[in-house]
Amino acid sequence: MSLPNAARIARRELRGGLRAFWVFLACLALGVAAIAAVGTVREGIEGGLDREGAALLGGDAELSFTYRFANAEEIGWMLERAGALSEVVDFRSMAVTGEGEAARRALTQVKGVDDAYPLYGEVRLQGGQPLGDALAGRGARPGAVMAPVLAARLGLETGDTFRLGTGNFVLAGLIEAEPDDAGDGFGLGPRTLVRRIDLQGTGLLEPGTLFDSKYRMTLPPDTDLEALEAAARARFADEGLRWRDRRNGAPGIAEFVEQMSAFLVLVGMAGLAVGGIGVSSAVNAYLDRKTEVIATLKSLGADGRTIFLAYFMQIGALALIGIGMGLAIGAAAPLLAAPLLEDRLPIPADFGLYPQPLAEAALYGALAAALFTLWPLSRAEAVRPAALFRGSVERRSLPRARYLVATLALAGALVGSAAILSPEPILALYAALGVAGSLALLALAAAGTRIVARRLTRSRLLRGRTTLRLAAGSVGGPGGETAAVILSLGLGLSVLSAVGQVDHNLRSAIETELPDVAPAFFVLDIQPSQIDGYLSRVEGDPGVSRVDTAPMLRGVISQINGRPASEVADHWVLSGDRGVTYSEAPPARTTLTSGTWWPEGYDGPPQVSFAAEEGAEMGLALGDAITVNILGREITAEITSFREVDFSSAGIGFIMSMNPAALEGYPHSWISTVYAEPDAEAALLRDISGAYPNITAIGVRDAIARVSEVLGSVVAAITSGAGATLLTGIVVLIGAAAAGVRARIFEAAVLRTVGAVRGQVLTYLALRSALLGAAAGLVALLAGTISAWAVMTFVLDADFSIAAGPALAIVFGGALASLLAGLAFAWRPLSVRPAGVLRARE
Amino acid sequence: MPDPVLSLDTVRLSLRSNAGEVEILRGLSAHAERGETLGLIGPSGSGKSSLLMIMGGLERATSGRVHALGQDLTAMNEDALARFRRAHMGIVFQSFHLIPTMTALENVATPLELAGHKDAFGRAAEELDAVGLDKRKDHYPAQMSGGEQQRVALARAAAPRPDILLADEPTGNLDGATGEAIMDLLFGLRDRHGATLVLVTHAPELTRRCDRVIRLEDGRIAGEGATAEAAE
Repeated sequence: MSLPNAARIARRELRGGLRAFWVFLACLALGVAAIAAVGTVREGIEGGLDREGAALLGGDAELSFTYRFANAEEIGWMLERAGALSEVVDFRSMAVTGEGEAARRALTQVKGVDDAYPLYGEVRLQGGQPLGDALAGRGARPGAVMAPVLAARLGLETGDTFRLGTGNFVLAGLIEAEPDDAGDGFGLGPRTLVRRIDLQGTGLLEPGTLFDSKYRMTLPPDTDLEALEAAARARFADEGLRWRDRRNGAPGIAEFVEQMSAFLVLVGMAGLAVGGIGVSSAVNAYLDRKTEVIATLKSLGADGRTIFLAYFMQIGALALIGIGMGLAIGAAAPLLAAPLLEDRLPIPADFGLYPQPLAEAALYGALAAALFTLWPLSRAEAVRPAALFRGSVERRSLPRARYLVATLALAGALVGSAAILSPEPILALYAALGVAGSLALLALAAAGTRIVARRLTRSRLLRGRTTLRLAAGSVGGPGGETAAVILSLGLGLSVLSAVGQVDHNLRSAIETELPDVAPAFFVLDIQPSQIDGYLSRVEGDPGVSRVDTAPMLRGVISQINGRPASEVADHWVLSGDRGVTYSEAPPARTTLTSGTWWPEGYDGPPQVSFAAEEGAEMGLALGDAITVNILGREITAEITSFREVDFSSAGIGFIMSMNPAALEGYPHSWISTVYAEPDAEAALLRDISGAYPNITAIGVRDAIARVSEVLGSVVAAITSGAGATLLTGIVVLIGAAAAGVRARIFEAAVLRTVGAVRGQVLTYLALRSALLGAAAGLVALLAGTISAWAVMTFVLDADFSIAAGPALAIVFGGALASLLAGLAFAWRPLSVRPAGVLRARE
Repeated sequence: MPDPVLSLDTVRLSLRSNAGEVEILRGLSAHAERGETLGLIGPSGSGKSSLLMIMGGLERATSGRVHALGQDLTAMNEDALARFRRAHMGIVFQSFHLIPTMTALENVATPLELAGHKDAFGRAAEELDAVGLDKRKDHYPAQMSGGEQQRVALARAAAPRPDILLADEPTGNLDGATGEAIMDLLFGLRDRHGATLVLVTHAPELTRRCDRVIRLEDGRIAGEGATAEAAE
């Protein structure tokens, strides 16, 4: 029976302590810790969102409408069921202060509230003033409170007045916290809060103006929200209502957190793969040292199975310790960082111990440890007693079939569990393929690097450059850490390189290229009565090169060919309300890809021209019937043409354009884009806002800055994840350098024996490390660039160009990291006496 | 008497170990003449290899003076010693001590390159030819037998045409026939380059090929003579 024997051998072998296994433990612990920490933070945020669902939503349930307020019947239905009801209106507008040339304007997201607001939580103002008092205003002038950043932008102080539309408000306070802010989602402008009643007569809520009305209800605790939602949808099926409730108070944030954490867990798994290389190298190095022990045990009668089990148990015990350390760090880090995180997060979070993410991280850790140690362990079984005399391990090119099968099964289990446990299974599969592909590419690159290094040592180029030849020879020679360093550091740098290249390309597209093709600003909510005056002002301006205008309504696609749209396709076009326009003839620069535009004056059954790319993605064809709910009424139109719509240049782009008669009688406003010289922008904005206070003009530069800011935060989070991967890579690098110290000491001793001075030995060691790191950096650049190109081309559908700065930084960073790790371990080879080293080897 | 190529004057060597300080050489004086073959014999632990290491500047004497080719090795720093070795010495070890990441040719070329030799690889190839390894130039040490590795080590030691060849039990890890072939090569190299050879050995047949033999015991010279028997 080999098991008890194996257990005894394993126990005796481990008596030497864990010092020799620090790389193994650190690699595994780091990978597990990263995944556990991301999962714990995710659970904490989701827990917070869950607990504060009602406050984030502003009620237990919310019905909302676009373009209109609820009618009496709808309000009656809500009042029947609600303990309390609060009406809120939300829209974008311009806050203006000062007059004429001295006027200052800023985009703001206005929320008009009633006395019941907020049903849950409380709006905290700086100075502790109650919201009701602040909104009551001063004298005849209504009050408003706003985000401090907006007040600063407008140069306003408490007590100053400003305008929204044609209404004057007094700034009565600055918002410190707004309970339902996160639930309202992403806004381009900071918040202004006023009483809904004070917006009357400001011209901001005219028919056709884009606004959302929201009705929040408090409900008895035992209310069946699901049943109530179904009842509301059934009752008001055709009226374009949207439903949300406390079960998911901030769906946008919840979805963002889920996607972000799914992505970060995948980055963490890349880290685990890097750690796996370190684990594998550490086990290889350990077994190399144990060759004589294994050969001796075999010569004493231990069979291969006993040997395999003995070392499997040792590695298993170490893996448990590593995973335990990783779980402890991963669980403790968010708890320790909780005070800092809670302050910085705009949403509530309940940081604590969550078993599920820890179990998930432990599972990944165990599978990765088994996957990466199986091949090295299979070598233990293959050691023959003759190794005692020959001093070499018999290396098979491939392990036995049973180990290959087990390896494939473990890889499948790892990828499978990542796909099952991730909320983004397809992304998980692609990421797993990406990591596997990168590892394969890196393994090939490692082999290629060795071949190139070998060639270099023989090349005449390096004759006379002794230290460089020695370094190239060492990189290309047998044994050594070339493969481990290129795989681990390379994979870590690949992730960082891909993130850097995608970030650069996105920023370049948004910040540099977009302003060249995008309009200077969007103008929203132009009333039909204002459009002629507006056009004469902007078109007559010599600084304006182009003005596009279009009527705009918003509607939800509710049915396709008579079936609920959500059953027909899962597409972003169907996920909310979309802009709809109408036009007698195809607008300038319109390209029809199929079908024909309706004839002029057409007033038959409604027809629609649909965006070609999105239509194809949704599987639409000419002749299909699209039902759109606009202002609670349903219009069913036949698709009679598809046309190209380019959203990339930030111009006017509508998914749907209908024949004018189809939308006759629907109140609507106009949207416009103005392409103007930067010098002309300020005067234009001033004149338009002055003449039409209800109009909202959004400067594209401001919007780009806001989007860049959000992008910056996302990139920072992903870079941190990639940094964790790189950190693991650096641990492997340091481990490899530490494991190579004995070999370096010996080389240094021999070199000094044959006449090398210390400077030459140091140069050799430095060049060797730098060459290895630069090779890893180059390979990472290649792998990262290919990944970034794939993301930009296939996921983001955007152009790609290599960013030289980040690219050079990756190669230079790789060389530097490796150089520093190498030099950190150079002092011993430099300081030992050759005699002692060589004598010890005799 | 001509100037000795190597001379040691009252050399002591103490090394620290876990058990405290151990005296390896206890005030030993010796010399070797130009072109002479000097054998060092004695039981294990008598200090033969340590004496050889001190002659090669690989180990520093705790006290006493060591001169080689008229230069005081004990006054040189580590780098000066390395430069001296590359210019004047070749050393062969029992365990060969080839660099495993280098081919045979590269191992042999390395001291020549370090010495700034213009055609290091050409000379290295000649030396490998001379030891019968012209077909194994591109092999790594792990791909060669012990005898072949020792021949590479011999070629490496001889390549810079050293004035002094130091060999520490060069046949200790080899079988009889291979060892004999290696010794033939070693003595052949000495003859070809006219070098002084200092040889640590246990093999009686080798001592018979030496001009003079010094027997060490417990860190002291216990005898000296033209043969091993005479040194007893």
